[in-house]
Amino acid sequence: MRFATVAVAIARKDLMSEWRTRELVPALAQFVVLALVIANFGFQIDSHNASAIAPGVLWLALVFAGLIAFGRAFAAEREQATLEAMLMTGAQPAAIFAGKALAAGLLLVVCEAVLLPALGLLFGVDVSAGLVGAVLLATIGMAALGCLFAAMVAQLRARELLLPLLTLPLWIPFIVAGGQAVQSAMGGSGAFDQAVKLLLDFDILFVVLTSLAARFVLDD
Amino acid sequence: MTRYFYAAGGAVLLMLAAAGMIFFFAPEDALQREVQRIFYLHVSSAIAAYGCFAVVLLGGVVYLWKDSLVADRLARAAALVGVVLTTVTLVMGMLWAKPIWGTYWTWDARLTSTLVLWIIYAGYLLVRRLAAPGRQAARFAAVVGIFGFVDVPIVHFSVTWWRTQHPGPVVINDALPPEMLATFLFTMVCTLILAGVLIAIRYRIETLLDAKPVAAVVSAPTQTEPAR
Amino acid sequence: MSALVAERLSHWFGSDPALDSVDLLVDRGDHVAILGENGAGKTTLLRILATAIRPSSGKLEIMGLDALRERRRLRGRIGYVAHTPGLYPALTAAENLAFFCDLRGADRERVPEMLDLAGLSQVARKRASELSRGMQQRLAIARAVMHDPLLLILDEPDASLDAEGPELLVRVMKDRTTVLATHDQALATRLCQRTVVLRRGRVFGAGSRLRVVQ
Repeated sequence: MRFATVAVAIARKDLMSEWRTRELVPALAQFVVLALVIANFGFQIDSHNASAIAPGVLWLALVFAGLIAFGRAFAAEREQATLEAMLMTGAQPAAIFAGKALAAGLLLVVCEAVLLPALGLLFGVDVSAGLVGAVLLATIGMAALGCLFAAMVAQLRARELLLPLLTLPLWIPFIVAGGQAVQSAMGGSGAFDQAVKLLLDFDILFVVLTSLAARFVLDD
Repeated sequence: MTRYFYAAGGAVLLMLAAAGMIFFFAPEDALQREVQRIFYLHVSSAIAAYGCFAVVLLGGVVYLWKDSLVADRLARAAALVGVVLTTVTLVMGMLWAKPIWGTYWTWDARLTSTLVLWIIYAGYLLVRRLAAPGRQAARFAAVVGIFGFVDVPIVHFSVTWWRTQHPGPVVINDALPPEMLATFLFTMVCTLILAGVLIAIRYRIETLLDAKPVAAVVSAPTQTEPAR
Repeated sequence: MSALVAERLSHWFGSDPALDSVDLLVDRGDHVAILGENGAGKTTLLRILATAIRPSSGKLEIMGLDALRERRRLRGRIGYVAHTPGLYPALTAAENLAFFCDLRGADRERVPEMLDLAGLSQVARKRASELSRGMQQRLAIARAVMHDPLLLILDEPDASLDAEGPELLVRVMKDRTTVLATHDQALATRLCQRTVVLRRGRVFGAGSRLRVVQ
């Protein structure tokens, strides 16, 4: 019970801070749109190859937006020296972690609400419910892993460099299964159901593992 | 000191013996000719690398559970040796792939997951370097080591799953003739011994590095009276 | 009865010892000032006493509990004011306190009372980023006592305190075991019965109020 109270309080605090300062989301939304524009020039997109390239562009934009969102979530706590203040209340580190991951994940979802329509508009992709579902499922596991390592690197030197280095390899399963799901949702080959089931399995595995590891990352 | 010297010398002699077996005892492969001889060390070093990373995993778990400095040092030593062996595996694999597959690299599951393995444990060494030495470095590295070990089979599995959706290159394995099998097993044992010796030497180095700050504290005169 | 017993606490960052075999005994209700220059190890010592970090070696017992094992339980009984206030700039003064109430599982009803204690009722609805440094510090002190801790650990609370600060310190320290770090000797003698001087991570001298004044 106490766990949920703490996690919700932290998530609400983060979302409220973001709502008042509007520091992260507008910049991230701009970033993902920009990523689509750059991809357009990088890949020479025309009406024939757009649907083949779109899934890759989607995941690249999402992965880098995620790195920024999760990195900021803990960088702010470090700059304000508030992580320690939270720990000193005796709240469970796993609950603190859950609250931070929940808020950061939701901010990334807001970002996806810009990314997916933009992808539909600029790449002529049909944004189906299956596609949205797959992206949301992948966001859960990516937020858990991303926040764990963001919490770690926030306490280290060279954190901007280290976060992608540690996180990206661990995100590969989500990108593989998510990419497959998105491709088949867009009408490509492959089993959509199987990909979604895999995403769900990965989510459960990594949410459990990161919750267990949170104590060792947050607290001395 | 001499103990480590003899161990290192012994490991080198064993590896030379393995080289002798690979080049003079094992028969030439009918299809791949001389190039196939890469197989013996390539697979052996891959297995030894996996062994090293299993030690990193175990060391990390034991450290987090029991706060054991010995376990942490062992993990540290094994990670470095494991990264070296993975590098050997990758480079030899690429040299083997070029004449046989016609390319240095393909994105098959085993290659991809081995590359990810290398990246993760290179990150492990980086975390060790960037974290504050002592408890923080040990804790963070243990977490990276555990997640890395869990992730690699999953990457392997998901790429295999993905490739079955999109069929890719297939490697066919014939049963090995007895001379080849004997050579392989001997090389593998030698490589494992070499890895063990390297870990032991590295463990010793880590112990000496750890001892420095302790010595500085112990050598200073201490205050015994409680402050009142 | 001792509220806090520290034996041979040492802490080193890399190969530099920040704290070298420090012993400290604090009786219940005692007020102890830790004096020393910057870099003497005051903050490291206080962070260890507050259970924020673990010492590299040594023993620490707080209120009869092993502070290296029962950290989460002790954190519920310790109030710690760190070097920086540690507030959320986008939340108001009242929201900051309410948030930490939620984390402690305490009743939010106490927020107005705490704001009043810190003399911040007037600015309760101002964001923390709009408060002066002195007000932020008073808010951090109010947060540290909102769960009625038995032990109070204050890291240079005077560093950025305004005119109303010392009086607030006297009020929160009343009937509460306190360890306070400062380089202001006058403040130390005014607030505390005992002082301990740290120099380069080691206890250099200790005394009662009278001896230090002499």
